[in-house]
Amino acid sequence: MKALTIALAKGRLLEPSITLLESIGYALREAVDSRKLVIDDPARSVRFLLAKPMDVPIYVEYGAADVGIVGQDALRESGTEVYEPLLLGFGHCRLMVAGKPEFRDAEWRMITGLRVATQYPRVTRNYFSARGLSAEVIEVYGSVELAPSVGLADLIVDVVQTGRTLKENGLIELEQIFASQAAFIVNRASHTLKADLIRALIDGLQEAMERNGKK
Amino acid sequence: MITPTIDRQLPNGVADLFFKDAARRRAVERTLGETFARWGYTEIIPPMFEFYEALGAEAGPMLREEMYRFFDRDGRTLALRADFTIPTARIVGTKLYDRAMPLRFFYVGSVFRYEEPKAGTRREFTQAGIELIGAGTADADAEAIALAMSGLRAIGLSDFRFTLGNAAYLRATLSDLGVDDATNSAVHDAVRRKNTPELSRLLETSPIDSARQEAIKALPGLWGGREVLDRAARVAPNPSAQEAIDHLRAVVTRLEHFGMDKSVTLDLSDNRGMAYYTGILFEGFVEGLGFAVASGGRYDNLIAHFGHPIPAVGFAISVERVLTALRERGADRMSVAPDVIAACSEEFERIQQARRSGRVVEVDILDRTPAELREYARIRGAREIWSSDGQIEVLE
Repeated sequence: MKALTIALAKGRLLEPSITLLESIGYALREAVDSRKLVIDDPARSVRFLLAKPMDVPIYVEYGAADVGIVGQDALRESGTEVYEPLLLGFGHCRLMVAGKPEFRDAEWRMITGLRVATQYPRVTRNYFSARGLSAEVIEVYGSVELAPSVGLADLIVDVVQTGRTLKENGLIELEQIFASQAAFIVNRASHTLKADLIRALIDGLQEAMERNGKK
Repeated sequence: MITPTIDRQLPNGVADLFFKDAARRRAVERTLGETFARWGYTEIIPPMFEFYEALGAEAGPMLREEMYRFFDRDGRTLALRADFTIPTARIVGTKLYDRAMPLRFFYVGSVFRYEEPKAGTRREFTQAGIELIGAGTADADAEAIALAMSGLRAIGLSDFRFTLGNAAYLRATLSDLGVDDATNSAVHDAVRRKNTPELSRLLETSPIDSARQEAIKALPGLWGGREVLDRAARVAPNPSAQEAIDHLRAVVTRLEHFGMDKSVTLDLSDNRGMAYYTGILFEGFVEGLGFAVASGGRYDNLIAHFGHPIPAVGFAISVERVLTALRERGADRMSVAPDVIAACSEEFERIQQARRSGRVVEVDILDRTPAELREYARIRGAREIWSSDGQIEVLE
């Protein structure tokens, strides 16, 4: 069994991931539409796994998938040891510290007992502690932008694409932690055990991206 | 009635082993120890804990952070051993430095690291490995790699692949970049993760000269077959890097003589883990496991820390990960069932005779009835019952 298992992140990255894979000859749209979580393509001896974005790095680190496509935001948050040879040029967003307008001009750094709500607790802890700010990190599982208005937290750390959601909730962007886009990641064991397959896939993706770029 | 309380539970990262699991682990340890011994390695048994000063000094920040530390009565800091390489270096550097070289040591035992348990490793986990001391040659490097491969083969994991790199090449390529510490560590991190885009971004804004930039940018792509060495030689930025490539070429040539080069992927950006590596670095992977089962390398400066500069190379096989890999391929013939269960009235000499001939004989000490004995034998998986009336009952 030398087949390749590819983990894809469900959600906003799925559609562009499929388009990219289709451009190098994988036909998986129909299967995805059928809402299956495991899709086999026996003709090309490839298996696709559809997973939550935060789970994709874990699948790849453990070798349950050989490679994966996932946002750098989820990748950094996972703290996993994987190779990340390629950025894919879609799924652009920014991981931001955001809060109410009165925190403008770095006022928030003056607050002791800062509370931060986020779905990215690891990144948030690292970011604040690296700056000597003792923030209490509150891990929530959704609707992060609600936290400041209901008094759960002073700040939030979350991904921002257009900034509309923030605006609607009366929040402004305070500081960028990092910019993120979709990345191609590889398990360290598979990188060696399936070197040829993985090299071919990387080359294929790279060519496809260059082609798309030129268009 | 015993009520379970918090303090009776196990701390995270340790495990109880009994029955088949204990037997499985010992079987792997025994097979590896025997394999190492046949190559001329003798066992070394360092203490479980020693002064933190000695263990921590050369460990590098990552491993140091992971060490279990505590105090003795004089307030001196002690640490549990976090690997076997540092204690072995201490023993050689302080006691064995003037013996005939090389020294060949193997070890099997627990090491302790305060890290998140992951993929078959725990906070207490088992390493079986070797240290080959007193030779800086390509022959020594090739022997270490070949022995790691032979060890895996001996325990039934023959579908391995090894990555092989050279810390000296990385050092020559990445040293004295003339950038600040943060950028320097970001570059190292990007190389370790083969993060080509991030590397390009970091180099774009750096004052590093273009020849060096080319060598650094090439790093994440320098993996594959022997041709990698030619590509690396073309971009090698200085004589030290060139030497490192020549040395790797010599190691690969020897592995070729052993017929073992086919299982090797060269990977020049490999710079995982231990801070003390100075030369070749290698990791062994097997099908079906996402983590390395074996890892090792050359550490020519470590023993000097304990008084005498002596080159050395070694590796450790993670016994727990090996067990996970074996379990996942279902290759398990392990049994802890007795061959015979004998009633207590059975003649002792006859039992001893069977034991001497290599059979496992368990004596009933609970005075069971024949029916109870049969039921017990079934549960234990015994093959024969010797009942009180002298009958031998063979079970299927």
